[in-house]
Order: sequence, then structure tokens, then C-alpha cells
Amino acid sequence: MMTPTTEAELAQMVADATGPITVQGGGTRGLPSDGLLLSTTGLSGIELYEPGALTVVVKAGTPVAEIETELAKENQRLAFEPVDFRGLIGSDGIPTIGGILATNNAGPRRLQVGAARDFALGVRYVDGMGQTVSNGGRVMKNVTGYDLVKLMAGSWGTLGVMSQLSLKVLPNPETEATLTLHGLAHTQAVAAMAEAMGSSFDVSGAAHADIDGTPLTAIRVEGFAKSVTYRITELTERLRHFGAEMSVAENSAALWSDLRHVKGFHGTDGDVWRVSVKPSDGPALIAAAGARGAQMDWAGGLVWLRMAPGTDLRARMGDIAGHATLIRGTGFARFHPEDCGNALLTTGLRHRFDPKGLFNPVLAAA
Amino acid sequence: MAKITELPLNEDGIATVLGVLKQQFGDRFQTGQSIREQHGHTTTWLTNQSPDGVVFARSKDEVTAIVNICATHKVPVIPYGTGTSLEGHVNAPAGGISVDVSQMNQILEVFSDDLSCIVQPGVTREQLNTYLRDQGLFFPIDPGANASLGGMTATNASGTNAVRYGTMKDNVLAVEAVMANGETIRTAQRAKKSSAGYDLTRLMVGSEGTLGLITQITLRLQGIPEAISSARCTFPTVDAACQTVMQVIQYGIPVARIELLDAVQVKACNAYSKMDMPEEPLLLLEFHGSDASVLEQAEMFGAIAEEHGGAGYTSTTSTEERNKLWQARHDAYWATLQLRPGAVGISTDVCVPISRLADCVSAAQAKLKDEGFISPIVGHVGDGNFHCLLLIDDKNPDEMERAGQFVSWLNELAISMDGTCTGEHGIGQGKMPYLSKELGQATVDVMGAIKMALDPDGIMNPGKVVAV
Ligand SMILES: Cc1cc2nc3c(=O)[nH]c(=O)nc-3n(C[C@H](O)[C@H](O)[C@H](O)COP(=O)(O)OP(=O)(O)OC[C@H]3O[C@@H](n4cnc5c(N)ncnc54)[C@H](O)[C@@H]3O)c2cc1C
Repeated sequence: MMTPTTEAELAQMVADATGPITVQGGGTRGLPSDGLLLSTTGLSGIELYEPGALTVVVKAGTPVAEIETELAKENQRLAFEPVDFRGLIGSDGIPTIGGILATNNAGPRRLQVGAARDFALGVRYVDGMGQTVSNGGRVMKNVTGYDLVKLMAGSWGTLGVMSQLSLKVLPNPETEATLTLHGLAHTQAVAAMAEAMGSSFDVSGAAHADIDGTPLTAIRVEGFAKSVTYRITELTERLRHFGAEMSVAENSAALWSDLRHVKGFHGTDGDVWRVSVKPSDGPALIAAAGARGAQMDWAGGLVWLRMAPGTDLRARMGDIAGHATLIRGTGFARFHPEDCGNALLTTGLRHRFDPKGLFNPVLAAA
Repeated sequence: MAKITELPLNEDGIATVLGVLKQQFGDRFQTGQSIREQHGHTTTWLTNQSPDGVVFARSKDEVTAIVNICATHKVPVIPYGTGTSLEGHVNAPAGGISVDVSQMNQILEVFSDDLSCIVQPGVTREQLNTYLRDQGLFFPIDPGANASLGGMTATNASGTNAVRYGTMKDNVLAVEAVMANGETIRTAQRAKKSSAGYDLTRLMVGSEGTLGLITQITLRLQGIPEAISSARCTFPTVDAACQTVMQVIQYGIPVARIELLDAVQVKACNAYSKMDMPEEPLLLLEFHGSDASVLEQAEMFGAIAEEHGGAGYTSTTSTEERNKLWQARHDAYWATLQLRPGAVGISTDVCVPISRLADCVSAAQAKLKDEGFISPIVGHVGDGNFHCLLLIDDKNPDEMERAGQFVSWLNELAISMDGTCTGEHGIGQGKMPYLSKELGQATVDVMGAIKMALDPDGIMNPGKVVAV
């Protein structure tokens, strides 16, 4: 295993490499590997945190938890709520910020504020020739040519090894509260979530899951206390016509932590699939999947499915357009196949970034 | 002095393409001088470089046909929306064909449940918002010009409410585009993306027509807020106004708009829009939310402003007053031009970390004064982005030279503060020299490699963004 401790060392290792390299942060996603293992955990630490500018600059191997702790001291946070996959997959390791950006990780708040990608302001990385490239910086917006920051986000380490990131952070809200509707069927739940999202009450989470055997639809609002109370009251009125029993969650933060990390699937058997669809297709997907368990997030736009091992979910999707990713289990391609025009572009880009085909060949081929 | 790019002409190829397009498009293919000039660069101080012909496309199939013809003969294709870009984006340094998509102006579908819509590239932002109003929805990105959504996507435009709703990059869910090889790509379905494929959507957003021609855009929409209020507040210094902004952002008050106008700009707006605001640094704000939350936001802002010496703070929920205020802000460019009739306006576009904003604006003001330029400053201060609009006599070479030096000086100052030379107008031709200064040659080379991968013959809007 190679564990560079400086960017220069990292660049040298890549430049010297002659065969495949598996790029790894905390290794918490249970990904297949090939060739030499290159760990980013030696590139760790917060380089610059300026609460007044809402920005933090960190080395790519920094543990997410370390960053969250530092931000919390200034009452700030990573607003995209990164998901910890360890409980779901049964893996060990410590999630790193580089891994979060490489997989474009995002939790329930994505529907309001976006994913990791949307908070990435700048990146430094080493490409397949061992050259160091830097793009973006600490400004909230720029239009300086092609956006390499967004290109690195969600590229699963197949374009380069990130060494440093700068991220936008946001202040913590004063408080949060969650309205829950009990016993709704999937289609009704999606209708209720759509109505909440279409309102002007600035909903920051809309999910639906079976909790202790009963379906629960959760709608979260955050902000200043007075306004949160007002919005919960208004939403309750607005959603009354669904005829469900409603209440305000006793511990909103704990509920959303469970939903975010898909606690309902921890310690269960079966394959886990994560499917993004347009929100109104969520219920149809669940019906078509024949799953053992299902949870909807992003107002229906993200569906977590627990399936009998070895079931080909993609074959069951029929006409429903979406991306199905296999999160836990084997036997199928991890990623949804790209349509062929895009796949050509993707391959063309990869050749330019990594002409020797060093990085994560298994994922690049998936 | 901003340089335009000079490139060799492929005269034979161009002559052939002109013949073929005339035959296939008849009246919708124009080669008259005035229409060609109109489609070269018009809104800035950059010299006009007209295309050899302008074709008005009506469908994706027509766009494909045009790109194929041009690709066969290696002739440049320059996508054209409404031509309001400011850095020579639509100039034709190597000649070629301007593809005007203003007739592709259909709003194809609105999905009110999913808060999204699909539009053709020639739809303008005002057209879309007029259409959406009845459905209680709106599209938030509002650059100063009534630009096309295709052009806004291609330039990653942003406007006065980026602080709350982001830029085009945050609001484009997918695009359909005809690439240099004539193939059509669709970057994503309406589902959010989760595969290993790269983020082609955000590669196309901000690519300034240099990778492909965008033929359809899927946009994220917002519900019209239950309540909107606007406010204004005067400050003793620009610095005090910037300090206020920083604290507002840090408190997490979800302001929708927070704009700075310096005293010169206020004066210009007063004269142009017949208003009587105190001629001192001014913050204009807008709050979106429920009835209760806009009140609360306005109150909290008032308290912070007072701490920093803010005066004359007024907020209102009256639609009429609000429209008047924001119309004045939107007309700032035209108002400014009146300060020196006959002069041309040269806009800077630096953006710095919010913590450096006060320093950067103050330094710019001092330098403008030293140099004796007439130039108001307006800023999207919630993002750290501001514009100086220098009023210059473009017939006076000395003035032009000094203006160029000022622009360079400011760009370099911003870069030294961890900022950028362009927060929203883009690179086009005018800012190409700053790209490597800001990003380093290695990064510019990567961009060149991307361009080569997707457009090996360099036919898509050549001579912009990166030289290859
Ligand atoms: C008074 C004034 C105020 C302005 N204020 C702002 C502001 O606040 N914020 C801001 O961001 N900008 C602002 N601008 C700049 C300009 O309005 C924006 O850059 C706008 O997005 C350009 O859109 P357009 O339709 O005019 O595009 P055009 O000028 O026609 O084209 C711009 C670029 O996009 C390409 N392009 C156009 N259509 C397509 C397509 N369908 N496919 C691929 N490429 C395409 C062109 O080739 C060109 O490179 C302002 C300009 C003016 C004149």
C-alpha cells in the first residue's frame, strides 16, 4: 500500500506507476480493487478554515468527522449531510472528505441545497501523468472555463487523485422540527411530499420509511424558532386533507440521522440498491421492484430498496427512467449503464486525464 | 487592453458551406452585412468580428444538419442566443456560421409536481417567468439582460439572487446538445444522477458554446414564495455595508438578494429611475418565505445594519414599491451610461471570498478615484462579486489604454486575494489572458485536452475560453 503524506509525494508515486492503482480514502464503500492500493489517509488535516467567508480548505484524506467537529465549534456544518455507508454495508474504515466528493455523496438535504458537488468550490488533484492540477478556489462563484471541480465530483477516483478540496460551509440553523404523517401508502406519501415541496415553507427534508412496522412520512423544516413553529403549523393545515394521523417528531435530529444512514436496512439480509428517479416515479418503482423493504428520500426522487439476493432490479424497472446503483451485493454492474453517446464522451475524457488507464480500472470499466 | 483573437480562415470550406446552407435554408440563411455584424460582438469594447453567415435554426434536426455540414468542411459553428454576453463570446475570429436559436423558443413541458421544466434554448428568462406565473412557479436566475436560457446555460449566468438560489450550474438539471461530431447527447434524465459517468451537465454549463450547441434544457423551478419583502439601507462607507453583509451571511439569514450600490451608482439610478435615495453606499435586499419569516428576516437584518451604522432602513411588502426598486437596480447599466453620454461601458467582474470583499471594493474605489475614471460600482455582495462600470471614450486611445490597465490591475488584485477575474460574465475572448494567470498553465492545458477530446477539429466557437 502507498500512503503519500504530501502532494509532491503523491504526484511522484503516480508518475512512477506502471500498472493499475486503486485509489482509496477510508475504504468504507466496500469497493473492488485491482493493482496497487493508494491510500489518501496520509494527506490529512484542515489547512484553512475561515468561518466569516463560509469556506474551509482541507486535505483530501481528512476524516469527515474531524471536519464536522471543527465546523460545529463555529456553529457551522457541511449542509449536504454526507451519508455514512458503514452500517448499511457492514464495512469498517473512516470516511474521508475526498471519498465524499469522489462519490458525490449527499443526504436528505440534497433536495433543498444540493450534493457534495454543489459545495465544492475548488480542488487540487494529480492526474494520470502525475501532474498536479488546480481549479476553482474559495470564491462562491466563478466562470473560468470548464468546471474541473464538478467533473472530479462523482468521478469515483477514475480521473485523478484529489489532494485538496475547498468547500462551502453553512451556518447551523437555530432549530429544526419534523412533521410526521402516519400510515400513508407510497403514492399518497409522494403526493404529500410534493405538496410540501411546492409550498413556500422551505422544506429541507422529505422522506418516507417504515419505522417499527408503520409507514411514516417525514417533512423537515429548519431555521429560526418562530418561523419553524409557524411553518410546521401551516404545513399541518396544508396536509390535513390526506387524512393521516399527524404529529411532530419528538427527536427530529435522531429521526433524520436514521433516515440519512438508512438505519432500517442495517443488519438485514439481501442486496441493497439505491435508485434515483423523478420523484413522481418513486411509487411505481417500488411496486415494480417487489422489494423486501423500501425507503424513499428526496420527496420520492431517491429510493432505497432491499431485494432478495441476486435479483436483477434493472430488468424490473421497465419504462421507468432512472439510475440504479448496487450498493450492497454482487452479481451485477455497480453503476447503471450510460447511454452510448455519453459513454463515448466519458471514455474520451478519461483517456485525456489518465492516458495510461491507471486509476480504479475496475470502477472505470463498471 | 483586451485582445481579440486572430485566427486563420478556411476560405474554401466557408465558401462551400455558404452555398449548401443557402440551398437548404433559403431565407433563414442570411449573409447581409448588417445582420452579420449584429451577430458578431456588439455589447462591449471588443472589435466586431462578424460571422460569414447567420442561420436561424428551428429544430434540433436542423442544428444537427448545420453542424454536420460545418464539420464536413471544418468551418466554425458559433451558437448565438441573444448576443448579450460581454467578452466577445459570439465573435467569429475564424469566420464561420452563427447559429441563431432565437426561433427555438418553445417551453416544451412544465412538471409542477417535480418542480422542473424543459425548454428550448431560445426561450428568454422573462418569457419563461411570464409563462410560469399562473402556476405559482418561477425560475430564479436573473442576469441584467433578458438573455436566452441557452446562452445563460452556456455562460453559467447568475443574477441578483444567487446568494439564495445559486447560479445556472445549480439550476440546470440536464441538457440535450449537438456535439461537434453531430451526435446528440442527453446528459441526464429528470432523475438525479448517481452513476459513475462524469458530470457532463456541468461540463456543458459554462462551456460558452465551445463543446456543443445546447438544444434543450431541463431546469429546476421554485415555488413563488408566500411572501416577499424588499428593503433598503444606507451606510456611511462601503466597508460598513460589506461588514453588514458578512454578518448577515454568517447568521444564516436566508436573504434572497443582497446588492450593493456605491454612491455614484445611487446617483445614476436616482436620475435615470426618478428616485430620491440618499446618495451614499446602499444595500438593496429582498427576503423570501412565509409571512412570518420575511418579517423576522427583515427585523434581524435591521438590527445588524444598525450596529454597522446603517441608516434610513425601510422594508416593504408592497409589490409596486418592490418592483420599482428592483427595476432601478436592473436598469443600473443603462442609468450609468447616462452619466457620460457617448461613452462605452467596460464592466469588470471580479469575485473574492466574502471576507475580502470590503478590502477589494475599497481598493477599487480608491484606484478609480486616483485615475479619475467615472465608474460606479454595483455588487452581488452576498457572493463576493462586484462590477465597476468604467465609462470610456473609445475614440481616445490613451483612455482605452488606461482602462485596460485598470481592468488588469483589478483582476490581479482579486486573484491575489484568492478570488477570480470573472464571477459571472465568463472568459470569451476578453479574459483568455487571465485564465492561465489565475489557474496555472497545467490547468489550462487540461481544459485544452477536454476541448480536444470533444471537438478535435476545433469547430465549436473557436478562439474562446482556451486556445488549442
Ligand atoms: C446590461 C447587461 C447586464 C448583464 N448582467 C449580467 C448578470 O447580472 N449576470 C450574468 O451572468 N451575466 C450578465 N450579463 C451578460 C449576459 O447577459 C449573460 O452572459 C447571458 O447569459 C448571455 O446570454 P445570451 O442569450 O445573450 O447569449 P449569447 O451572448 O448569445 O451567447 C453567449 C455564449 O453562449 C453561447 N451560446 C448561446 N446559446 C447557446 C446554445 N444554445 N448552445 C451552446 N452555446 C450557446 C455563445 O456561443 C456564446 O459563447 C449582462 C449583460 C448585459 C448586456
